[in-house]
Amino acid sequence: MTMPLTPVWFIALPLLLAFASPLWVRLRLLMPLLVGTPAALLALALGLLPAVRTAPLLETIVIAPPLGIHLQLDSASWLLVALINFAGVVVGAFLWLGETEPYLRERRAFILILLLIAGCNGMVLTGDLFNLYVFLEIAGVSAYALSALRRDAPALEAGLKYLIIGSVAAIFFLFAVVLIYLQTGNLSLAAVARGFSEIPGPMQMLIGLLMLIGLGIKTELFPFNFWVPDIYQGSHPAVASLYSGILVKAFLFVLFHLVFLFLADPGVAGAWLMGLGAITMLVAETVALRQEDLRRMLAYSSLGQIGLITLALGFGVESTTAGGLFHMVNHTLVKLLLFLTAAILLRSFVSARIADFAGAGRARPLAGALFVLGALAVMGLPPLSGFASKLWILKGFAEAGVFWPVALILLAALIEAGYYFRWIKVLYEPRTEVAIEPSEGRWAYLPIGVVAGLIVLLGVAPFLVDDLFIEGARSLLDRTATLVAVLGAGS
Amino acid sequence: MLSFLDEPRVLHGIYVLGSLTLFFIGLYGLLAKRHLLKILISIAVMELAVYLLFIGLATSPGETAPILSDGLQGFVGMADPVPQALTLTAIVIGLAVLGLGISLAVQYHRLTGKADVAGLTELKDV
Repeated sequence: MTMPLTPVWFIALPLLLAFASPLWVRLRLLMPLLVGTPAALLALALGLLPAVRTAPLLETIVIAPPLGIHLQLDSASWLLVALINFAGVVVGAFLWLGETEPYLRERRAFILILLLIAGCNGMVLTGDLFNLYVFLEIAGVSAYALSALRRDAPALEAGLKYLIIGSVAAIFFLFAVVLIYLQTGNLSLAAVARGFSEIPGPMQMLIGLLMLIGLGIKTELFPFNFWVPDIYQGSHPAVASLYSGILVKAFLFVLFHLVFLFLADPGVAGAWLMGLGAITMLVAETVALRQEDLRRMLAYSSLGQIGLITLALGFGVESTTAGGLFHMVNHTLVKLLLFLTAAILLRSFVSARIADFAGAGRARPLAGALFVLGALAVMGLPPLSGFASKLWILKGFAEAGVFWPVALILLAALIEAGYYFRWIKVLYEPRTEVAIEPSEGRWAYLPIGVVAGLIVLLGVAPFLVDDLFIEGARSLLDRTATLVAVLGAGS
Repeated sequence: MLSFLDEPRVLHGIYVLGSLTLFFIGLYGLLAKRHLLKILISIAVMELAVYLLFIGLATSPGETAPILSDGLQGFVGMADPVPQALTLTAIVIGLAVLGLGISLAVQYHRLTGKADVAGLTELKDV
């Protein structure tokens, strides 16, 4: 029996391995598999890349036509799938090699992390609205449970808040899906896209509004993001790095995929999203200035970057979209670096308050250096990758002759520099007695080091990956090509 | 005398009004109530309203269940099975989320003695 290597493995493999977890506990394979599963999927993604670059891979798993599960791997979703699984490898390796708290090395965490990866892969790949809802809930439920895994009061509170707000988002999304089905009689994204312009205008508005509330909460856009810092603060930083690194990115992709696919002219919706993105960026960066808790500061910084990505993608021009996708990848790398470094620092210094971090960079030189590297990359200083992607976005806006986003992005970068340097200054403050804890597991730095290397590499040589992002932007923006690919040339 | 109720337009109107009322009752509960369990129940009510709307509007009076039996051989005059399959799936998901939420709320109550959302103040801006 041959096993064709098709996109369905991105969803099936983590699901199967997660549910067979009692076996892995007995065989003592839990941690190797936590790293190995996303690593295998990353290898599969790299193996499929040449095929994806020539034509999008479509897979239909048919029960009986016309019912079936439809998956689509094109250049844009390939980027996201590779990113999600890469982040899975990094976080898995960090949990395995570092001396992480035991509750994150048990079976429950193993299952939840694999389910989160399966859910995100599914959301990005699926070509069907209802499956999108199902994957959204799979990713959501595993994220709620991951937040609450520590089972003390802050963790349970974070889990509860996340669950309540996440369920409300899912209801609004489901409402929009129901209305779309009642109007068009279809759930396949391509078929809905073909029929969407025939839906009466007010109904289109209502569907758009419900989608915006549902996905706006999930993508953490202003004014739906008041809950985010609480969740990031209450969860373990390694878990928070998964939220900021892959969960939000998958939802952002879904949001823009739907906008560009359903609307023949995404101008109005794009302008709204650009506005929301700009407000999200400015508000979050300003609030981050006065945060006293490391995890909250990183959460607000993450929100600011998400606003920037939304601003770039919402413009809907090839160069800003490519830059936005590139920045998405960079932001994931940077936030993996910062949150995992934060996890190491928090373990040694107990509290995350800024006052308790005085001199931490001297006691933990390696972690301090990595934190500085990540901070510089977020600000977008050359030669780090944040510079390359921000430059790309700014160039895209400048070429189109639209200058207000350029001004806002530069302003946000200034504010960012303000609060990151405040933290860096505290990290290297001279302090007489710095409690030196027993030495850390040195291996925990390995996955962080790999991420840091990638940040530098992408910053020095962005031309290595340019083509991938341009192709990704084209396939994200080219609605007709998707419709023709899925429905056939006659449509 | 009440046969006018069987007209699809009237019937669907009633379904829309009823389920939207239910949706807004849930939304009110979500925003106005402070007990954690009441909030979770409000979310369940909102979900239910969406299911009812879906099932109600997808079927019309006179349609039969989409099962080929009892001499029925063609797919004529049958209800669309897709909304019902989807709603079943969504109910299962909703139940799982509700179960998780209630178990978290119970654990939180055991740990801190609090069941009020206004008391969820471990994590906040300083």
